[in-house]
Amino acid sequence: MEIIIEEITRAHKLIARHKFLQDNINIGRGYDNDIIMADPHICAQHLSLNFNGEHWVLNDEDTINGSFYEDEFSKTKLAVHQHIVHSGQVFVIGKSLMRVIFPDHPVPESISFSPFENILNLTRHPIFLTLSILFFATITGWLFNLHSPVEATFTGLLVPAIGMTLMFTLWPAGVALVSHLTKHEARFRGQLGICFVFFNLMWVSDFIENLISFNSSSQSMYGMVASLLPIVLAFCLFWLNCHIGFQMTNKRRTVVAACMTLLLFGGSYLIQLSKKPEFSIRPAFNTTLMAPSYLFTSSNNVQDFIENSKALFTKAQEAAKEEK
Amino acid sequence: MKGLTTLILLCISTVSYATEQAEEIFKQLAPSLYQIRLIDIASGEKSSIGSGFQISSDGLIATNYHVISGYARHPNKYSIEIFDHQGNKAPLTLLSVDVINDLALVKRTTDSEMPFFKIAKSVPHKGEELYSLGNPHDLGMIVVPGTYNGLKKESFNDRIHFTGSVNSGMSGGPVVNKNSEVVGVNVATSGNQIGFLVPHDKLLNLYQRYKTSEPASIDAQMAQQLTDNQDKLISTLLNSEWQMRPLGEGLIPIVNIPFIRCWGESNADKADAIVSAVVANCALDENTYISNNFFTGSIEMEYRYMQARKLSDTKFYQIFERQLNQVRSGNKAGKDDVSEYQCQHDIITPLNLAITNKSVFCTRAYKDFPKLFDVLYVAISVDKGDQALLSHFTIAGVSQESALNFTEKFMESISWK
Repeated sequence: MEIIIEEITRAHKLIARHKFLQDNINIGRGYDNDIIMADPHICAQHLSLNFNGEHWVLNDEDTINGSFYEDEFSKTKLAVHQHIVHSGQVFVIGKSLMRVIFPDHPVPESISFSPFENILNLTRHPIFLTLSILFFATITGWLFNLHSPVEATFTGLLVPAIGMTLMFTLWPAGVALVSHLTKHEARFRGQLGICFVFFNLMWVSDFIENLISFNSSSQSMYGMVASLLPIVLAFCLFWLNCHIGFQMTNKRRTVVAACMTLLLFGGSYLIQLSKKPEFSIRPAFNTTLMAPSYLFTSSNNVQDFIENSKALFTKAQEAAKEEK
Repeated sequence: MKGLTTLILLCISTVSYATEQAEEIFKQLAPSLYQIRLIDIASGEKSSIGSGFQISSDGLIATNYHVISGYARHPNKYSIEIFDHQGNKAPLTLLSVDVINDLALVKRTTDSEMPFFKIAKSVPHKGEELYSLGNPHDLGMIVVPGTYNGLKKESFNDRIHFTGSVNSGMSGGPVVNKNSEVVGVNVATSGNQIGFLVPHDKLLNLYQRYKTSEPASIDAQMAQQLTDNQDKLISTLLNSEWQMRPLGEGLIPIVNIPFIRCWGESNADKADAIVSAVVANCALDENTYISNNFFTGSIEMEYRYMQARKLSDTKFYQIFERQLNQVRSGNKAGKDDVSEYQCQHDIITPLNLAITNKSVFCTRAYKDFPKLFDVLYVAISVDKGDQALLSHFTIAGVSQESALNFTEKFMESISWK
């Protein structure tokens, strides 16, 4: 009778898989066993599996630390003693976990290639990747020049542009490293490609946000909507990081990406909140300014502006009453 | 030789006569002259000092508002008392204030009629010798002779220009003429024998108003005075001529009124500057003291024209964005005095269609003086690639209506040539 025994991690991740055709299988640290374990908490002759013509029976060989199986109903670990094994049942010997599978055990449905695969393959292509990183470095250098109070030289911009690019490379490198450490394929180039695509998209989102902020009045809601764009982009990036680097269900991937987005934006919001003084004497207003060529909204008139200002007096007076 | 000797003798006799007269005045007035002390109740020690003088036989004493402002603002924290020429102390009660002219009336209890200063009925003539009395730096009462030089020209609220030393601690002390009549009250100094006095008619007004009706509360009285004064200031500004003057390629309004003084600056001498900048500032040269950390009544206007020399439009406006970040309120106020600013912004073209600005308007409300606000306006032109015009003003302690009327006129006045 055929039987498959899988060595699995505590998170039930597969380490090794063994298929046997005989009716008697011995597991232990001894070299005469069918499965030779390295775990020092396992005895030389630890566990035997015997087919009695109808069932596979699991028997502990009077070991020091014992053998246990996971009861799927009570979700508890019970001691093994002439236990009839079911397909998919997990048993514990020493500190190691094993799962018994019968040949007729149902197999999950095959997963079709993700529609992202083609895009992901494109982003990891060396030419695309180089162009993407170069674009990022160029934009970074240009922004450094824009924020510099004097005209910066090309060499003066090169160092911060390269430095910033290398700093941003740390994220895909970190994700790839975690993938590798968790027994997944690192796929560093894939991570690098998708990350730089999204970093560049972040620049675009910044520009759109500024453009909307410059063109909208404080009465408009467009600015608020535009500020959601980087949050959506960050979620997508984290989702794709998980997709490339880790095998997990869609639901889990979505939860992980959402948590990371929350951590990033919630964390930065909390930091800002903690730095915000209890009372500020400085007026806080939208200071976004862009060149006239970016102005596409129509102007308002003075009368309407004055009319809108009236509401501020009421708000200020209410704030003064509350704070008094 | 004989003539010269006569002249020297005449000079010596004049100086000697002035000194004798000052001594005589001091002796005569000393019983009605006091040091006013602001006492911190918790520690029992004096927190600040000033001078004061009696103006009625029943114990009414005049001083500066800023001498007793601690008590006016925090009556539970401070008390006020007088210290007379014989070293006697007596508690005081605050009766009325004129926060605009920095005057206050306090009272001591008396059993009998007391000597007091008489307030002059006429204005001194220019060059007339006056005598300032007070207790500088807690050194004891002194008399300082000086000269009346008329009213300060660039002042919205009248102040006498007095040539004589007015030192810290003399605030609230009287300035008298040869007849020992009060013609002013010590209030401020600019150093180097330049002193400023509150004219006697302001004290007379306060005294008469107090006699007619006592104020319901000091806070309400102050709020009314601040509102009336600022409404008067804004309506004076609005009814004055606004001269349009060029600033670079822009046209800016300059209010043609003596108490609004303007100053200018540019970087025309900096050949390597990446942006040419011309700045003009106009401001009221005075403000109203409420407390150590709270001033109001100020008005400031600033115009800044900038032209890019070797810059892209994007970088030029990025530099301007940083300037927008530096805008601050024009007066000193803290958390206990005002709310946080509430702001709005929009792209605005005035009726003349001569400019398009990104305009920002902010206001904050006073906590103890309802219906009074600080307002701040800043606009930057966004219709020319390599040139921009910044226009900005702040007004402190103004009513909503006055603030909006001024804002409207200001916004409609700015334009390109």
